[in-house]
Amino acid sequence: MNELAIMSKAMLQERKDIILSILGGFIAGIAGVALFSASGYMISQTVFAPPLYTLIIITSMVKLLGLLRAGSRYAERLYSHRATFSMLSRLRTAFFAKLIPITPGILNKNRSGDLLARIVGDVESLQNYFLRVAYPPIIVVLVFLATMIFTSTFSFWIAGLFVVGMLLTALVVPSIVLFGQRKINGRVREERALFSTEVTEVLYGFRDLKIYGQLIQREQQLQQTSATLTEEQQKAAENLLRGQAMHTFVTYLISWGVLGLGAFLIIDGALAGVFLAMLIMASLTVFEEAAAMATLPAYKQDSEHAAKRLQETVGSSASLPAPSLRIESDDQAISIDLNQVTFQYEDEWRPALQKVSLHLDAGSKTAIVGPSGSGKSTLIDLLLKLRTPTAGDIRLNGVALKELDENSIWQNANVVLQQGHFFRGTIRDNLLLDNKEYSDEHLLHVLHQMQLSHILLNDIVYEKGENLSDGEKQRLALARAMLRKGRLWLLDEPTSSLDYVTEQSVLQQILAHSAEDTLLLIGHRLTGLEKMDQIVVMDQGKIVEIGSYAELMDKKGYFYEMKKVEWQMIGEVAI
Amino acid sequence: MSRISGLISEQMSLQRKNRTLLAMISLVLGITMIAQAVLLAEVVQRIFVEKASFSSVITLLGLLLAVMVIRTLLFYSNGKVGLHMAARAKTNMRSAVLQSLIYTSMPSTLRGQTGGKVSIALDAVDEADQYFSQYMPRMMEAAMIPILILIVTFYLHSNTGWILLCTAPFIPLFMILVGLKTKNKSEEKYTQLAEFSGTFLDSLQGLVSLKIFGRANHQQQEIERSSLGYRDATMSILKIAFTNTFMLESIVMLSIGIVALELALQLLVFKSMAFHTAFLILLLIPEFYSLLKNTGTAFHSGRTSMGAICKVDQMLAESQITSELEDIGQSTSASNQQIMKSQHTSTTLDQSTPLSIELEDVHFHYGTDSFELQTGNISFQAGEHIAIVGKSGSGKTTLLHLIAGLLKPTSGEVLVNRKVLSESQQSAWFRQVSYITQHPYIFAGTIAENISIGAGRQVSTAEIEQAAEEAGLTVLIDQLQQGLETVIGDGGRGLSGGEKQRLALARAFLKRPTIILFDEPTVGLDLHTEQVLQRSIALLSQKATMITVAHRLYTIQDADQIVFMDHGAVVDTGRHDELIGRLPLYAEMVNVQQKGGIA
Repeated sequence: MNELAIMSKAMLQERKDIILSILGGFIAGIAGVALFSASGYMISQTVFAPPLYTLIIITSMVKLLGLLRAGSRYAERLYSHRATFSMLSRLRTAFFAKLIPITPGILNKNRSGDLLARIVGDVESLQNYFLRVAYPPIIVVLVFLATMIFTSTFSFWIAGLFVVGMLLTALVVPSIVLFGQRKINGRVREERALFSTEVTEVLYGFRDLKIYGQLIQREQQLQQTSATLTEEQQKAAENLLRGQAMHTFVTYLISWGVLGLGAFLIIDGALAGVFLAMLIMASLTVFEEAAAMATLPAYKQDSEHAAKRLQETVGSSASLPAPSLRIESDDQAISIDLNQVTFQYEDEWRPALQKVSLHLDAGSKTAIVGPSGSGKSTLIDLLLKLRTPTAGDIRLNGVALKELDENSIWQNANVVLQQGHFFRGTIRDNLLLDNKEYSDEHLLHVLHQMQLSHILLNDIVYEKGENLSDGEKQRLALARAMLRKGRLWLLDEPTSSLDYVTEQSVLQQILAHSAEDTLLLIGHRLTGLEKMDQIVVMDQGKIVEIGSYAELMDKKGYFYEMKKVEWQMIGEVAI
Repeated sequence: MSRISGLISEQMSLQRKNRTLLAMISLVLGITMIAQAVLLAEVVQRIFVEKASFSSVITLLGLLLAVMVIRTLLFYSNGKVGLHMAARAKTNMRSAVLQSLIYTSMPSTLRGQTGGKVSIALDAVDEADQYFSQYMPRMMEAAMIPILILIVTFYLHSNTGWILLCTAPFIPLFMILVGLKTKNKSEEKYTQLAEFSGTFLDSLQGLVSLKIFGRANHQQQEIERSSLGYRDATMSILKIAFTNTFMLESIVMLSIGIVALELALQLLVFKSMAFHTAFLILLLIPEFYSLLKNTGTAFHSGRTSMGAICKVDQMLAESQITSELEDIGQSTSASNQQIMKSQHTSTTLDQSTPLSIELEDVHFHYGTDSFELQTGNISFQAGEHIAIVGKSGSGKTTLLHLIAGLLKPTSGEVLVNRKVLSESQQSAWFRQVSYITQHPYIFAGTIAENISIGAGRQVSTAEIEQAAEEAGLTVLIDQLQQGLETVIGDGGRGLSGGEKQRLALARAFLKRPTIILFDEPTVGLDLHTEQVLQRSIALLSQKATMITVAHRLYTIQDADQIVFMDHGAVVDTGRHDELIGRLPLYAEMVNVQQKGGIA
């Protein structure tokens, strides 16, 4: 239940709407019961030939109750939905706040890229918790209690019967269903995941499977999985159906009990016969409110599962107290030292970086090159304190990274990540200006320097920058870095989608802008590295060579060989 | 719309028996419903009006209990039939989707729309469930039972019957109105809503950037703002729906009130009715209205499912179009084949000797896309090494797919040893082909399993080991505790790009193909893989015809023939020195890179 704590908190914050919706639901419930009871009573009364005006009073009451019921139902719907959506907003903000400190740590635990989409989905299924799980029992209990109090004035025993009915529908039946649901739902989820992975795998490997003659075999396997999935889903649905049937039968049984017991009591003289029809009508109507109880187990399962997963994602890694040291670097560039740094991703079997030692002088320009997967980008993540080394230490200006406040590192760094993110909003928004005031002229000048003169500050950027080309995104990310005042430049393949000419011109601007600063550039090509103070060559998480361009070319080692391969490349690369 | 009903009616005709069963159960259900009310009213009549003894109603009570049990059982069976229908329909639909994915959607699979297809096979089919499990049984009940009740009320008391008959149509009418109005309104606001709910995901995805730029807290406010905006927009739509429901419920309530008044008047003023009848009618009316209200909810879920079914249908239709296109290709193939047969008698694909390949004016385009590929007439001799060269997007990979037989030409022919390959020869053809791509397919399984998929037959561990060694994988395998039995792929150990590339080579070494199709890597591999690749490809291609999408100068320099492509067309073919001399585009491409590289 601990997992739903965040939910309870959100519910508490929306208590006003919740109380109003409970009030609406309660009034609607008892108005319904009263309406049908009154009709039953009225018809029974006619047997005694009462004066006409009593009839008129009762029928007008019936109509008023009908309107009251419809009206309060309206209020119930309005407030409960409002509460639900407000809670969704609170849940989103709460989870976002929880995710801030543990990003990107959580991202390397789950390699599947759909983690974030899953969080979104789970939060959305949590919003159902109030309306479908927490709310129905409250209304059922309230309406039943009111009906019970009302009937207890006529007969203690019939009131007792209502209590039994309430316990059965609100507690016993849902528990039985839930018990069965627990096991089956787990299996359905497993089968669904299995089917999804298998289909995806076949589609990705389509070409190879076809050539290897494995497609037919795979298809049979898929059909098999599909059949199992459907079977499990059917079992789960049957379990729910059984629950609904039980619920229906309890409803009938209680009405039957009211009839039998009522008949017995009337003959016994303990109950007036005129109330029998009324009590039966009440027993038939009161269960209408309990209809939502039949679907409750399914929703309860879903939201508990969602809450548990969110808890696992968000709650596991406790955030450490923030270190207090800051980088003092307003007037000096930053020096970097890496000493025997090793880093291993949680679910990987070999380290991404292995005993890397490297020194970057303040104000120096360094390029890192190497095949993809050699650990270049991991190095930048470590420098930004986005990830923590498994072993070894990193120092900025001689201060250990461990003791530095991460915010002060970010403030002092001009970063372009390989997958820089862009948001729905204007170009101006996406420059992420951190409240620093720049004149439009200056912003446009920087865009111009980055060869983005065709873009206006108020142009709209779509989600993830979908309406920008890869090259535009990279240049925009560079412009974003240019507008910051840090003295450390960390650029991860910032120009991989640009053509040769644009790349050179843009890099020239960056080098001019960062003349006095420390700069670390991860390159995807081996061109234009002659101006760098040092070139670091990496392969499989290790540093293979360090030296200036001329030194490395003279040495005829790994870098020279890579250069030879690059000369051989035609086509794609030249564009 | 006609297509939607197509898929549904197809499923329906398969399930005629179940539908009859549903109708029968619903009919009996209606009868038990009425019987229950009759018995209830009768007991009350005897006890309250006739003041009979308890023992006189015991039989009636027993009967009532029996009716209630039967009614519950009928409800259960009705649901069960629905579930059975849903399961069957789902299995059929999924099977159709899978078949279309595997047999007819080659072009779209290659164009990479995997996520959407998986979602159709899984989510859309699941959503379709509701149509069969909810909508069908509820609609059947709504079609039978209210009419039964109406007949009974007309029989008992025609005035009430008229009231029911006049008010009943309002209910489905209002339900449909609610649906339509909210639908219009929500469509109007659709983009706005999508925008609001997208912000959360968008922010999560950009959290790293936001953190580094010190904007994370600011974004949190943005999420709150957009979520509340979403709430308000949705509420304004829901308000319309709720208002309409309010009207609807008022009508129901007023109708019940009118019936009650009418009954009371009949009983008291005109004295034309017995208590028994009045109470019976009073019991039946709520059932009548709630059944009609159920149709509304069922209608809603039915429509959602319809949308999902429509999606599935669309996908099936699309793949049908592409398969029809392929059929056109095949029918021309067939006629050509007839002619060929008369010319050549030997047809079998020989395992040991390289094959020659000819392209006869091959045209190809994906569906209705503007991109079109045309080759003219080209022929590759057995054992030749061919390089396909061109800018990215010029159609090199598509050409390779056509040669491989993975795509069927829209018109024209691909001839192997001067023969059109028939459908039955396809697997024999694929047994001789190795296709080494930049992104080899690694499935969840051991390294040994991943390598031996290349052989297409049972292979010994020794053979696998040898192939692994030839592909330069031994160093990696020795590092692993479980060696060849290490599980890789999804959920297993991750391999680097270079290692995957070498694994693909190991497959080829096991297969010893007579045709090698090779998409050269464009990005920097590690030097070790680069060397293995050069050496292995040279070794493999000694006894094979090799066609390479070339990105490396030595590949094109050594090629027996270069196919130069531009904008989907084969511009020229020839050797390196020939093309340099006569094709400025080609010379420019080769030279620019070399200058850039040296600069």
